[in-house]
Amino acid sequence: MTNTPAIEAEGLVKRYDGVRALDGLTLSVDRGEFFGLLGPNGAGKTTFIETLVGLVEPTAGQAAVFGNDVETEQQAVRNHVSVAPQEFNVDRFFPIQEVLEHAARIHGVRASDARERAAEALESVGLAAKGDRKFRALSGGMKRRFLLARALVSDPDLLILDEPTAGVDVEIRRDIWNVVQRLNDDGMTVLLTTHYIEEAERLCDRVCVVDGGQTVVVDTPGQLRRRGTDTIRAEIDGERVHANRLRAVDGVDDVAVTSDGVTVRAERAESVLAAVVTAVSRQGRTVETLEVDRASLEDAFVDLTGPGADGSGGPESDETTTSQPSERSRQSSTTEQ
Amino acid sequence: MTDDSTLSVPDSVVPTWVVRTLGLARREVLRVTRRAKNTVLPPIVTNGLYITVFGVILGARIGETQGVPYLQFVLPGLIALGAISQSFQNAAFSLFHSRWEGYVEVMIAAPISSAEGIVSYLLGSAVRGLLVGGAVFALGYLFTGTPVRHPALLIAFVVVVVLLFGGLGLVGGMWADDFDQLTVFNQFLIRPLVFFGGVFYPLADLPGIARTVSYLNPIVYIVNGIRFSLTGISSVPPLTSLAVLVGATVLVVGLDVWLFERGFGLTE
Ligand SMILES: Nc1ncnc2c1ncn2[C@@H]1O[C@H](COP(=O)(O)OP(=O)(O)O)[C@@H](O)[C@H]1O
Ligand SMILES: [Mg+2]
Repeated sequence: MTNTPAIEAEGLVKRYDGVRALDGLTLSVDRGEFFGLLGPNGAGKTTFIETLVGLVEPTAGQAAVFGNDVETEQQAVRNHVSVAPQEFNVDRFFPIQEVLEHAARIHGVRASDARERAAEALESVGLAAKGDRKFRALSGGMKRRFLLARALVSDPDLLILDEPTAGVDVEIRRDIWNVVQRLNDDGMTVLLTTHYIEEAERLCDRVCVVDGGQTVVVDTPGQLRRRGTDTIRAEIDGERVHANRLRAVDGVDDVAVTSDGVTVRAERAESVLAAVVTAVSRQGRTVETLEVDRASLEDAFVDLTGPGADGSGGPESDETTTSQPSERSRQSSTTEQ
Repeated sequence: MTDDSTLSVPDSVVPTWVVRTLGLARREVLRVTRRAKNTVLPPIVTNGLYITVFGVILGARIGETQGVPYLQFVLPGLIALGAISQSFQNAAFSLFHSRWEGYVEVMIAAPISSAEGIVSYLLGSAVRGLLVGGAVFALGYLFTGTPVRHPALLIAFVVVVVLLFGGLGLVGGMWADDFDQLTVFNQFLIRPLVFFGGVFYPLADLPGIARTVSYLNPIVYIVNGIRFSLTGISSVPPLTSLAVLVGATVLVVGLDVWLFERGFGLTE
C-alpha cells in the first residue's frame, strides 16, 4: 500500500458528443508529491479531476487513487481525497462555518470534532473572523480561500486544487500558495491544475503538460524549461555580419541579423555561445554586448501546446499565456570585448 | 433551535455511516426549521383557511357524511394534503437547489453513500411534512374535537406518507431542469391525485368506473387510512391501505437509490 502511487491513470478517455475531453491521458503521481497539471483552457484538466472522484465516468481507460479504482472502489477513493473546485459550488443557505461542518460530517467526521475542524480550516486560510458570514457576502479572494478550507476540513491525504487562484489578486494568490506549500511540506499529496505557468513553476515538484486531453510531457519545471528555446542577442560594431556563417554553427536553430547586431536562437545557449562569438570574430567584427535570454517554462509551454505543437488546437484564448505576470527568467550576462 | 442538540448522539460508539447520515440529515432539518416562517407557516395558514371554509362554513350545510360531521370527514384529507405536498416539495426543492447551485457535487465526491444521502434528504422532508400535518391535525382538533380512535395507526400512516412523497420529491428534484419543472410535477401530478383521492367525498358516492379507477390512486389509501385512524370509518380496509403504501414507499425509495447510484441528473 505505501508504495502504490497517489494517482495512477492509464489511457483515460472521456468523450462527450463530438468532443474528446480526455484522449488517452496517462500519468502517475507519487505520494507526497506536489504535482501540477498545466494546460490551456479546454485541455481536459477539470474532466480528469472529476473522473478521479466519480463526478465523471470515463469512456475508456483506468485510474486509481491510492490503489483504489475510481469506478469500482469509489468510497475508498473519496475517503482520502478532497477537491477545491474551479467553480463556486457552495450552499449559500448556511453561514460558512456550518458549510464546513457539513462537509466534515459527510466525510465521517464526528459531530464533536466537526466544529473544531471547521474553525481550524477557516483559520488556516485566514477566514477565522468570517465564520458566521454567508458565502455570498465574501469577496472573490475570500471565496477562493473558502473553497480551499472546505477541501481541508476532512484532512485529505490527496488534496486536489482546480485552478485555485483563478481570478484572485497577487497577494491572495501568494497566500494560497503558502498555505498549500506548507500542507505539502507536512506530507499531503497535492494535485494542482492551472493554466498559470508561474504557479506550476513555483509550487510543483513535477508538471504534466496536457493538451487536447493528452499527456504532452511530464517533467520537473527545471527540465521542462530546458525544452524551450534560448535567445542570444549580440550587439556588433561595424558592418552587418553574414547570417549563414552563424547558421552553420552546430546547435543554432535560427539567426536574424538586425541593424546593430544579431539574434541567435538555440536550444541551449551555453553550448553555442563560444562558437557564435568566434564566428563573429572570424568575420572581423567585435561583439560589444551579449545578452542571453534563457527559455522560460512559458516558452516551453507555448512550444509544447501552441498551434504548431502535437496534441490538438492549442490555447483557446491568449489568456492562457499572457494574462499572468510571467516572470521570464532573464539571466542576462553582458560581456565587453 | 440550538445547533448541536438536534441530532447528535454520544460519539465514539456511532458507526461512520451514521455519522455521515446524521450530519447531512441535520443540515436538511435545519434547512426547514431555520426558515419555519417560509417552510412551515404558510401551509398551516392555508390549511386553516381550508378548515374554516370547508368545515365550518360549508360543513354546516352539508351536515353529516358517513355518520360524522363533514369537517371530521375532510380533516384526514387536509392532514394528508399538508403532509404530502410539504414533504414532496421539500425533497424536490432541496435536491434541485443543490444541483442548481452545484454543491450536490460536494456530496457526490464525499464518501457518503447514495442510500445514506437519500435517508438524510428523506428525514428533512419528513420533518417538514410531519410539522405541517401535525399542525393541521391540531387545528382540526381545536375546531371539531375529532376523535382519535387509532393513534398508533395514525402515526404509522403519516410517517409512511411523508417518506413516500419525500421519495417522489427526490425523483422530481433529480429530473427537473429548472424551477418551473418542479412546479409542473406538483401541479399536474400531485394536485389532481389529491383532488380525486377521496378527500372531499366518500368513494361510495362515485359511479362504478370512477370508483374502480380511484383504487389506482395512492392518495385514496392515504386519506382513508388516516380517516380510519381518526374516525374509524374507511372506504378501504386500513391494513390493506398501509400495506399498499409501505410497498409503494419501498419501491420509490429503491428507485431513488437506483437513480442516485447512476448519477441521474446529478453527474455530467
Ligand atoms: N459536460 C460536458 N459536456 C460537453 N463537453 C464538455 C463537458 N465538460 C467538458 N467538456 C469539454 O471537454 C473539454 C475539456 O474541458 P475541461 O476538462 O473543463 O478543460 P480544462 O479544465 O482543462 O479547461 C472542453 O472542450 C470542454 O468544452
Ligand atoms: Mg478546468
